[in-house]
Amino acid sequence: MFGEDDIVKHHKKRADIIFNIVLFCFSILFARLWYLQIYKGEQLLLYSQENRLRKEPLKAPRGMVYSRNNELLVHNIPRFDATVTPQFLKNKKQTLAKLSEILNMTENKINKILKKNRGQARYRSIIIKKNISRGEVAIIETENFKMPGVGVQKFISREYRDKKVGGHLFGYISEVSQEQPPKFRKRDNFNYRLGDFIGQAGLEEKLDLNLRGLDGYEYVEVDAQGRKKRYIRDDDLFKGLENKRPKPGRNIRLTIDRDLQLKAYEALKDKVGAAVAVDVNTGEILAMISRPSYDPTQFSRGLTQRYWSSLINNDKKPLRNRSIQDHYAPGSTFKTITAIAALEEGIVDENTTVKCTGKFRLGRRKFHCWKQYGHGKVNLKKAIRESCDVYFYKVATQMDIDILAKYARMFGFGVRTGITLPNETMGLVPTREWKQKRYGQDWVQGETLSCVIGQSFVLTTPLQLAMSYSAIANEGKLYQPYLIKEIFNNSGEVEVKYSPKLISEIKISPETYKQIKSGLFEVVNKRKGTAWWHRGSGIQMAGKTGTSQVVNSSPDKLYNKCEEKEYRFRHHGVFAAYAPADDPKIAVGVVVEHGCHGSSAAAPVAKAIINEYMRKYYPELKKNYAIKERVAYSKMINKQKRAAAEKERLAAELEAAKKEEDE
Amino acid sequence: MNTSALWDALKKYDFTFFGISLVIFIMGILNLYSATHASAHISGLYQTQIKWYLFSLVIGVGVSFIQAKNFYRFSYLVYVANLILLGLVLVLGHKGMGAQRWLVLGPFRIQPSEIMKISVILVLARWYSKNNVDSELGLRNLIIPFIIVMIPTALIVAEPDLGTGLLILLIFFVVTFYRRLKLKSLAIIILMGIISSLAMYNFGLKSYQKRRVVTFLNPGADAQGSGYNAIQSKIAIGSGKFFGKGFLNSSQASLNYLPENHTDFVFSIFNEEHGFFGSLILISLFLILFYRFIWLATSVNRIFDSLVVMGIMSLFFWHTFINMGMVMGLMPIVGLPLPLMSYGGSSLLTFGVCCGIATSLSNSRNLF
Repeated sequence: MFGEDDIVKHHKKRADIIFNIVLFCFSILFARLWYLQIYKGEQLLLYSQENRLRKEPLKAPRGMVYSRNNELLVHNIPRFDATVTPQFLKNKKQTLAKLSEILNMTENKINKILKKNRGQARYRSIIIKKNISRGEVAIIETENFKMPGVGVQKFISREYRDKKVGGHLFGYISEVSQEQPPKFRKRDNFNYRLGDFIGQAGLEEKLDLNLRGLDGYEYVEVDAQGRKKRYIRDDDLFKGLENKRPKPGRNIRLTIDRDLQLKAYEALKDKVGAAVAVDVNTGEILAMISRPSYDPTQFSRGLTQRYWSSLINNDKKPLRNRSIQDHYAPGSTFKTITAIAALEEGIVDENTTVKCTGKFRLGRRKFHCWKQYGHGKVNLKKAIRESCDVYFYKVATQMDIDILAKYARMFGFGVRTGITLPNETMGLVPTREWKQKRYGQDWVQGETLSCVIGQSFVLTTPLQLAMSYSAIANEGKLYQPYLIKEIFNNSGEVEVKYSPKLISEIKISPETYKQIKSGLFEVVNKRKGTAWWHRGSGIQMAGKTGTSQVVNSSPDKLYNKCEEKEYRFRHHGVFAAYAPADDPKIAVGVVVEHGCHGSSAAAPVAKAIINEYMRKYYPELKKNYAIKERVAYSKMINKQKRAAAEKERLAAELEAAKKEEDE
Repeated sequence: MNTSALWDALKKYDFTFFGISLVIFIMGILNLYSATHASAHISGLYQTQIKWYLFSLVIGVGVSFIQAKNFYRFSYLVYVANLILLGLVLVLGHKGMGAQRWLVLGPFRIQPSEIMKISVILVLARWYSKNNVDSELGLRNLIIPFIIVMIPTALIVAEPDLGTGLLILLIFFVVTFYRRLKLKSLAIIILMGIISSLAMYNFGLKSYQKRRVVTFLNPGADAQGSGYNAIQSKIAIGSGKFFGKGFLNSSQASLNYLPENHTDFVFSIFNEEHGFFGSLILISLFLILFYRFIWLATSVNRIFDSLVVMGIMSLFFWHTFINMGMVMGLMPIVGLPLPLMSYGGSSLLTFGVCCGIATSLSNSRNLF
């Protein structure tokens, strides 16, 4: 048996081997150092002095956006920025003076920009002026050798063809800035880098990953002035450094119709509000406009402070997409839902009549009809046509709020539609449970009376409104509205295709639909209908007007003329419609803030959109209607003529008889 | 009486390990200052590094006063506790750079995989010193040590921290070789190592790790610019030539061409500024340190002590060799720091503790 001491001694040999291996390893390191520092030293020193190897990012072009008919809506256009690279700047003062002359900006300002960017690497170029003209580009390029360090950087600007039209729909892109939280920069598990352009609202935000593509890079050698000299080839040292080509973003075809969009934008002129048009049979969104709007192009070119503050300080909030981000009381357009519920629950039938005297008493409270002295005897059809409040008050006394809520939800109220746009609000359909949770109070029947006519708690977005009327028009198919027809790559191959998606089939008897639809038809097409003024013009439209009270008890008197009130107390005008009435193709929801009446403010907008749509897609239908109308007109004329002839004949006969008598 | 006892203790105290490492550290801190002084956001790092060094020195000197037999006695306990910490990292560790390596305990952030390097050395030494001490080792004798090593290695690779996992295997290899492994078994192990590393590459690596290996083997397949780093590092080293550009004159560092030039790439900055001549001195210092470790391994009385010192030597050696090799473009970029030179508290602490253990074992040499 050995002592421990001896055992250690047995390992001496191995220790020697280990030390030799260590020496051997380090002699390899020395050999490598010798190769790099002595043998290759001169060449590498040159590289290090001039920093000739540079990795240049190659930005991927962002995908384009097309309308449903392949008209280009959003695209990219090259613009130019003037830059300064501090590393290559020689006799700074002179160069900057020259630059300030060319760019027409003070030296002070240039210095300020340089100072602001002092923290970053010196070889990185700093943008001095964005969006310089072609003339300025030419001067800088030709004078370049006199001003080392000054350069021109190509910049791809994102431009939106129709400027403010549909600004909310597209959203905008802007640079990821230092101030944005890191969490934001990692959105969707994509590593956004500083200076990357990123979709900040609308479709640009929602489809950012599809649109943006993947940036690439290339290795270039630059000379002492920072100009590209040649692309890295096979120098032994740089063996195989490979460039990566950028992968362009995917393109998007929308369901939007450009002409309809322009028409809707124009129709909403100087109003504050939103209009949404959808295809009744698919749920495709044909137009979506919110006003006031903004021009997204301004964002990608670098927003001027003035434009930004004009957007931010405007109390009409042009940055909000009112068609989905704001909700309004639907007003009388909601009576359709109440009527459906009442018919389905057997509370009324078509013959039920109510006497409207202009007011309705519930306990000690008095509820008013919009018509001060009442509608007289009212049945369901008339109640819809003339929008009689008292009829629905009467219904409300027999209907529980939860029943009403059930029907409202069936038609998509109070639920997000799930459209691919950010920050959609869900509106509100009140229930007993909701009120208990929200206010800790029990439901009061008086509130049901307000709810059945679409006031108080009930809230909807213009999009929800359009979708619910679309479901009435197609008799029970509630579609999910969608904006994107397909996503296709740069070589035109379709990668994702979207098709209509049914949210639910609303189970309601055909008889109910028939009655409701005939009521909606008469709103527009029968004398005394609330939208009678907007009938005709070749297409038969069905719809419902609504006036949503902004303040529950406005300081002005109830029956004062709305237009005479202070702007912020005026009612919102709401209109929901579909057309043609007998075979619906398009449904429209319009809200005009403080527009006073649905019929005067909102209905013309809907009418303009519908007319444009029918003109474009169903010209023969429109013609048929025109012919029908003309036939009806000539019939009427003929009748009048006949009546006149008859009168004449009678008069003549009378005269003849008189003569005879005289004789 | 008391003073003379203290004097005796001091006379027996082995200053070489802390001494040499202090010299290397001073070179390191000057180099770190030079590498970071140009970039505003990291220019204060050298102060943090000095604080960490002082902290590590206190801990290290404290460790050097632990009685040698206690390393033996507590080795299993330390090992098991460390395994638990490693498990915790996987469950609730702090994420950084795509890997989960940190455990946050109040104000402290600890990296259990760092401590594991030392724990594995202690446990291996204990096992080897208790089993078949007087004969050479065959493959059959390696089964238990292999299990001892593989459990923590698997946990560390799962974090994923491939570099540290590999390092532990390399330490295991050196210690086993030193503990008189049969040459036949050695050949078999090397063969198995090659096969398993091929299998690991194909099935066990994350994409960024694969990329690093691929970049090393074929810079042409550069995907995320790892090849670019390697080239910039080579330019930095080469441009130093024989005497270097001088202190604070590294252009690669001041222009931010080199990423992580204060952690993994300090050696290329050192070379750029001090050239071949400077490296000669620095590497010689490291060699002296290694020599001293190996000398100590053969001079201690107990086989346990000897194995521990050899393990510590291999820990220093692999760190140094792999880091230098990778910045020169001889090895893939695996992210191992250069001992006492790279910025980083955990690694300073590890090397401080190692020096402490070595000093303690050295002091106890002639007690009987």
